[in-house]
Amino acid sequence: MHRTPRAAMTLAAGALLLTGCAFGGGQAPTATETTDPTEEVTLTFQSLAFQDATIAATEEIVDSWNEEHPETQIDLVQGSWDNVHDQLVTQFQGGDAPDIIHNEASDMAGFAHDGYLADLTPYLSEDLRGDVAEGVWTTVTAGDEVFAAPTLMQSYVAFANTAAFEAAGVEVPTGDSLAWSEVREIAQQLTGDGTYGLGWGLKSPTAPFMNLALGEDGTFFEVDAEGQATIDVGEGELALPQTVHAMAYEDQSLDPVTLTQSGGDVLPGFLGGTYGMYIGGSYLAQQIADTAPEGFEWTVLPPLAGSAGPAQGTSPQTLSVSADSEHVDRAAAFIDYYMQAEHLAAVGQGDALIPATGAARDALATATEGQTGWAEMLASGEVLEAAPFQLAVNYPQWKDQYATPAFQQYLADSISLEELTAQLTEGWESIQ
Amino acid sequence: MRRRVTLGRALQYVAIALFMVFLAFPLVFLFTTAFKTQAELQSPDPQLLPAQWNLDNFAAAIERANLVQAAGNSLLVAVVTTLIVVVISLPAAYALARFRTRLRKLATGWILLSQVFPFILIIIPLYLMLQPIGLGNSLAGLVVVYVVWSLPFALWMLQGYVASIPVDLEEAGAMDGAPKWRVLISIVLPLLAPGLVATSLFAFIGAWNEFFFALVLIKDEALQTLPQRLALFVGAEGQVQLGQLAAASLLAAIPSLLFFALIQRRLTSGLLSGAVKG
Repeated sequence: MHRTPRAAMTLAAGALLLTGCAFGGGQAPTATETTDPTEEVTLTFQSLAFQDATIAATEEIVDSWNEEHPETQIDLVQGSWDNVHDQLVTQFQGGDAPDIIHNEASDMAGFAHDGYLADLTPYLSEDLRGDVAEGVWTTVTAGDEVFAAPTLMQSYVAFANTAAFEAAGVEVPTGDSLAWSEVREIAQQLTGDGTYGLGWGLKSPTAPFMNLALGEDGTFFEVDAEGQATIDVGEGELALPQTVHAMAYEDQSLDPVTLTQSGGDVLPGFLGGTYGMYIGGSYLAQQIADTAPEGFEWTVLPPLAGSAGPAQGTSPQTLSVSADSEHVDRAAAFIDYYMQAEHLAAVGQGDALIPATGAARDALATATEGQTGWAEMLASGEVLEAAPFQLAVNYPQWKDQYATPAFQQYLADSISLEELTAQLTEGWESIQ
Repeated sequence: MRRRVTLGRALQYVAIALFMVFLAFPLVFLFTTAFKTQAELQSPDPQLLPAQWNLDNFAAAIERANLVQAAGNSLLVAVVTTLIVVVISLPAAYALARFRTRLRKLATGWILLSQVFPFILIIIPLYLMLQPIGLGNSLAGLVVVYVVWSLPFALWMLQGYVASIPVDLEEAGAMDGAPKWRVLISIVLPLLAPGLVATSLFAFIGAWNEFFFALVLIKDEALQTLPQRLALFVGAEGQVQLGQLAAASLLAAIPSLLFFALIQRRLTSGLLSGAVKG
């Protein structure tokens, strides 16, 4: 009887040791290939498709693949964006991750660095390689290995309530790009009694600030080939947070309440006429189209541009293959199939996201011809490129523990720009 | 004097009513949201009640998340977990409360210590232990985890109930010639009913609502539990299918509400009888 607690303590100590091992990083598994091409295998594909139309499109792709490839059946498993990182951490440690994994590049970079993802370089066709911008390939490349195929990309766009523009006597901007200084000016003109020129759901401010900083030549990080990054927070990095802060507290043309809300939370205010402009991910176009009241007139404004142009970083959605998969070649073949123009266009249309391949963008442009906002959104896809933060190995940890709280405090006017800079810099250094 | 009593009672009722409103509002909100259309949910002029009580969200949620299958899995896991927790914790709690050995202190200390480990710390070791023995992607594995996770607190709670039963009652039974097993079944067990109910509720609701272990352990869609399926309504960047999520959550809450309704009378009466004795 006396042994029970001791045994339990030993087990607990063992568990703690195991945990230590787990977070210390394991041995990289070795990729394998199918030796017999006629052997029947079943691969697991965990998809994070969210909108009903995207789920349907994904199921259709899998069904048609299964029909055409009886030797390689795909078992589709629906996952959730909300918890995918924690789930993958455990599954990689246990050697039980899905064969084909849907996620986003910035999250997968860390797994690639730890050796949990297969190198897709030998399997991706030349056509596919040539049809995706080099800058986008950079987001899914670690060292000289391609750890994922980029599928869909999101850009940040400004939506406009055209009736509000007309009522305020403001011309709806057209052209190749829209400078932040113009956004600020227009927002002031649209601001009136009980209405604001701009609503921007910045509850999670890090990703938009990091991606849009490229338009101001702000890169935040310099990353070496090993994924080791050094941080530099200067004028370019802070330009956009400063503009947002000034619009909220000096001009009072941006509703500060929206800075604490998600993009979806701000939508009712935009549809109700409280905000003349609304900045958010391109995916919000789908929600506007689905839920706008009858007669609501809206459009997407030209790509947002900083002093260095309309460049934006993007962390594309990706498809990767687990290095533990026994059939990396077949899993990669399915990814190649998924990346075909008509397939990528279908999932992109469902999510209102921009396909990574030129052929799929063309197919989507044809499919959405005449529909509000699509031409502008697809145009914004042309300026998307890699941002260094996507390859910084500890970025997800820094984002959650330091960057997001620091940006939130700055946007709430609780800390100064100097304090923001210090928190971002010292936070990064503390986790190195 | 009477006026003071009446005024005091009225204020008590007001306080209770306010508390009830506070507790009930999220449920009312959930209930009405489940019947609203997407356009109503995004309306700049939100209303508590839907314009029309439509069931589209329920149909979509059931179809999209395969809720019936998930509910079956959750029910199976929660019921089996509850049974095992009760069966193990009942004799163990009795032993802890009644036998004053040195082991008792160590065991109670370990029970308390085991509660300080956060989920995230033990999930990877647990996963690594369950995988090689074939329990990594199975409901049986999930039951094992839930039993292990619930047992310390259930044991701690139940031994408090055992300790509150006067030993004199057992001694009186023994004096009348009843063997030990008879004393346990006829005297201790009926008096422990409120404790067993509370323990069962704790184990059932814990297993019914648990998400993280299930997320990590269960990969096969046919084995997923309700909380896993509810997560499918939350997307990236704060996107939520609010209407469908509310409908699915409402359906998911029904079994635990039923379970609570069925056994809460015993819990209440037990507490009252304890109070009178005290």
